[in-house]
Amino acid sequence: MVTGRQKSRTLRRVHRRTPGGKTVLHYKKRKPSKAKCGRCGDILKGIKSERPYKMQNMAKTKKTVSRPYGGNLCSKCMRAVIKEKIKQ
Amino acid sequence: MIEVGRLVVKIAGRDADLKGIVVEILENNYVLIDGQVRRRKCNIMHLEPLDKVLKIPKKATHEEVVAALKKEGIEVKAKKKKEAEKGERPRKQRKTKKKEVAEEAKEIKPKEEKVKKETKVKEVKKEKPKKEIKDKK
Repeated sequence: MVTGRQKSRTLRRVHRRTPGGKTVLHYKKRKPSKAKCGRCGDILKGIKSERPYKMQNMAKTKKTVSRPYGGNLCSKCMRAVIKEKIKQ
Repeated sequence: MIEVGRLVVKIAGRDADLKGIVVEILENNYVLIDGQVRRRKCNIMHLEPLDKVLKIPKKATHEEVVAALKKEGIEVKAKKKKEAEKGERPRKQRKTKKKEVAEEAKEIKPKEEKVKKETKVKEVKKEKPKKEIKDKK
């Protein structure tokens, strides 16, 4: 019999292949929500969303975009913000 | 709107929000820009032109562009020193490695000769008993 926590969907299910060739179900905590643009709310591309213990060991390039406002604004909003800045 | 000497702001890529000057107009919506941005070919769609047009000669060098920007009160950080340091470091390492390899090759050569001599001696020893066996038969 499976335990109660394995019947609920609070944990996500990950298929893993063992060294013996069998596929096994692993139960892991769900990933946090994806990063969003601070201006329009679109999902930001190129930014990983993982649990903090994985984010710690990740390279900086996987967590940000190498552009001013990278990781905070989407590219369209960044352009708009810069143009507004110029007009002022 | 886009012409040689036009002050522009880049609005795409890692140089976004940096100022530069149009140095040369290339084919099909492309221009050569320089200044705070890296000197490079750039699509006009990725530039936001400003009001000012600076006086620079056609195909101006980076130094001429920097001098023109300085008059306008726009300072450009010097990057050449860092590039020079980066270029020299790996070259030095390569030279040292090659020397070591050459020295190792010299050391190995006498060892190989010794081995060859030993093998020759062994071959002679092996041949002798074979002959004896044939003689017995």
